[in-house]
Amino acid sequence: MAKYHLHLAHLYGDLLNTYSDVGNIIALQYYAKQMDTDIDVKVISIDNDFNPQDFDLALFGGGQDYEQLVVSKDLPNKKAGIDKFINDGKPLLAICGGYQLLGHYYIGADGEKIPGLGILDHYTLSQDNHRFIGDITIKNEESNQEYHGFENHNGRTFLGKGERPLGKVISGNGNNGEDHTEGAIYRNTYCSYFHGPILTRNGEIAKKILLAALEHKYPDADLSSQKALKIKPTF
Amino acid sequence: MTVRSSFAEFAGRSSYWFLHTFMNGGSSLPGKLTLKLDPNILQAFSKKYDLVIVTGTNGKTLTTALSVRVLREKYDQVLTNPTGSNMEQGIVTTFITAPCPKKKGLAVLEVDEANVVKVCKYITPIAFVFTNIFRDQMDRYGEIYTTYYKILKGVKLAPKATIIANGDEQLFNSKDLPNPIIYYGFNHEEKEPFNAPANTDGLLCPKCQHILKYRMRTYAGLGNYFCPNCGFHRPELTYAVTKIDKLTPTHSTFEIDGQKYTIGIGGLYNIYNALAAYSLGRFLGVSQAQIKDAFELDERVFGRQEVINIDGKQVTLILVKNPVGLNQVLDMIETDDKPFSFAFLLNANYADGIDTSWIWDGDFEKLTQHQIPQYMTGGERYKDITTRLTMAGVKDMWHEPDLTQVIDKIKEMPTEHVYILATYTAVLQLRKQLAETGYIKGGMD
Repeated sequence: MAKYHLHLAHLYGDLLNTYSDVGNIIALQYYAKQMDTDIDVKVISIDNDFNPQDFDLALFGGGQDYEQLVVSKDLPNKKAGIDKFINDGKPLLAICGGYQLLGHYYIGADGEKIPGLGILDHYTLSQDNHRFIGDITIKNEESNQEYHGFENHNGRTFLGKGERPLGKVISGNGNNGEDHTEGAIYRNTYCSYFHGPILTRNGEIAKKILLAALEHKYPDADLSSQKALKIKPTF
Repeated sequence: MTVRSSFAEFAGRSSYWFLHTFMNGGSSLPGKLTLKLDPNILQAFSKKYDLVIVTGTNGKTLTTALSVRVLREKYDQVLTNPTGSNMEQGIVTTFITAPCPKKKGLAVLEVDEANVVKVCKYITPIAFVFTNIFRDQMDRYGEIYTTYYKILKGVKLAPKATIIANGDEQLFNSKDLPNPIIYYGFNHEEKEPFNAPANTDGLLCPKCQHILKYRMRTYAGLGNYFCPNCGFHRPELTYAVTKIDKLTPTHSTFEIDGQKYTIGIGGLYNIYNALAAYSLGRFLGVSQAQIKDAFELDERVFGRQEVINIDGKQVTLILVKNPVGLNQVLDMIETDDKPFSFAFLLNANYADGIDTSWIWDGDFEKLTQHQIPQYMTGGERYKDITTRLTMAGVKDMWHEPDLTQVIDKIKEMPTEHVYILATYTAVLQLRKQLAETGYIKGGMD
C-alpha cells in the first residue's frame, strides 16, 4: 500500500486517444510508484460531470477532428470545473488537441473556427495542406532540461498573456514554426504538441506534475524523498 | 474488347513475361504500362469476370485467400491477386496475366481502401466484403471515418452489389445505403453492458454522438454495441460465430451457426477472417460441409505467421504495424500454454511509421502474468520499446540494437518457444539474416 493516493481525471479519454496518450498515465503511475504514491484513473467523458474537488491531477489528450468537434460542443458543461481546477493550481497535462481546446479557438479541417475553453490565452490557426511532422528537441530555460518528442500537427498555436513556453525549440517546429516556442506553461498546467508520449521520454516533467499534485493535496507532508527521486534517461 | 484494350493488354502481358523471365519479378510495372496505353483497360474485363472486392484495414489478405479456397469448392477457377498487389496497377496486372476464362469467371480481389473507387469505375462488382476499419499508425492523421468514406465512393458506383460486412464494426452500420447488406459477427456470449477501454477508436454513436456500450466485445471497437442514449445498436447478424471452443497460437476451433470448424492459425482476429470467407461462400452458394473442407484442407494458406526452426527452437516471427494488430498478437501468444521468450524489434523508418508512440497502446502489462523467462528488445528504436516494457513491469531484458546479432541471441534463449514481434523493416532485416544463415529460403512471401 502506497503512502499517498492521487486521483487522475482523464478528460474525454475515450474520445481523445489518437496519439497513445494513455502512455502518459502509464509513465505517471510508474514514477508515482517510486514516490510511494498510487494513482487511480477515471475517464471523464461527454456524459459525465467533472467535479474538480474529486481530482488531484488531470490529462487532456488529442484526437481525430470529428471527436474533437464533439468534445468542443461538450466543453461549456465542464468549463467552470476545469477553470477552477487549473486556477487552484492543480496540475494538468494537455497534449495537442487538448492543448488547443484550453485556448480560445482552433481552426478545424474544413476551415471552421472551433471554440475552446478560453481558460488559457492562446489561439490556434491552421496551415494549408501541411503538417509539422518529425522529431523535436526543446530546452526549458528555467531548468535547463532538454525535452524530446515527436510532433505531428497542422495547428499553429500562438501564446498569450500569462503563458510561457514549455521550452525553446532546438530542432523541429514547435508551436507555430515561427517564434521558436513549444508548448505552454500556466500555473501547473503543462501544454505541448509532443507525442512519444511526452512523459515516457521526459520523466522530469512527470516528476514536476506529481510533485505539484502531492504538494497540493498533502501540504504538510515531508516530500523530500519524492523530490530527491533521480529520473533515469529513457531516450 | 476494343483494339486499344487488346493492344494494351498484349503490351502488359509481354512486359510481365519479360520481367518474370529475365528480371526475376515485377508485378506493378506491367499494370502501369497497360494503364498508360489504355486507362480504361479494367472495363475490358468486366464482361469476363464476376468480381468480389475484399477491403478494410486489417485481414484483407487472409480473408481473400480463405474466400478463394472456399469458392474453389464450387467454382472451377477463381482469379485472385497476390499479396500486396491491391492497388489499381497490381489489379490490372492480375487480370492481364490470367489465362482467359472460357465462360464468365469469378474474381475475388483484395483492394486497398482508396483504390475501391478506381476499380468500381470500370467493373461493377457483384459483392463487397468489408473486414474492419482501424487506425493504422502509418497515417494516424487519416481518420477512420475518412477511410470508410473512401470505400463508400466505390460502393456508390455499385448500388446493387451485396455488401457482406462485419456487423461488429459500428462504422459499417453508420450510413444508410441502397445496397443489400448481409452482416456477420460474433454471438458467443452476452454480458452486462460495459464500456470499451478508453484507448479504443470510434466509440461514438453515429446517430447521436454518445459513447457506445457493449454487451460483448471481441477486440478494439468490435462487438455487440448499442447506444444507451438513442438505442442505435448492432444490426441483426445473418452469420455468426456462436461458440469459441479452443484458441492456441497455431489453431482455433469455433462454431459458426452451430457447426464446428478448425483453422490452422491462432488469433481471434483470424476467426473474423474465416467468418467473412464463410459468409461470402454461403452467399455464393457454397455448402457448410464444403466450407469445412476448405478450412481444413491446407494450412499453407495461413502463411503470414511464420514459424522458423532455429537449431531446435520454434521461433514465431510476427509483423506488427498498428495498436489493434499488436494487441491481437499479444492476446494470441498468451494462448501458448508453454513458457516462451519474447522479443520486440522496433524500427521507425517510413514503412514502419516514424512515430513510435503507438507501442504505448499495446497492452504489454498482460505479459507479466505469463511465464516469460527472457525478454529482448532490438532495432533502431530499442530504447523506446525497452521503456515501454520497463514501465509495464518487465525487470530484466537483453538489448540488441544491431539486428545482425539477433539470431545468435535467440539461440541463447532459455525456452523452446520464442516469439519475435517486429515492425516492417525489422522483419525485412531479420529475414535477410535468416536467409543468409540458411534458416529460411529468402524473400518476403
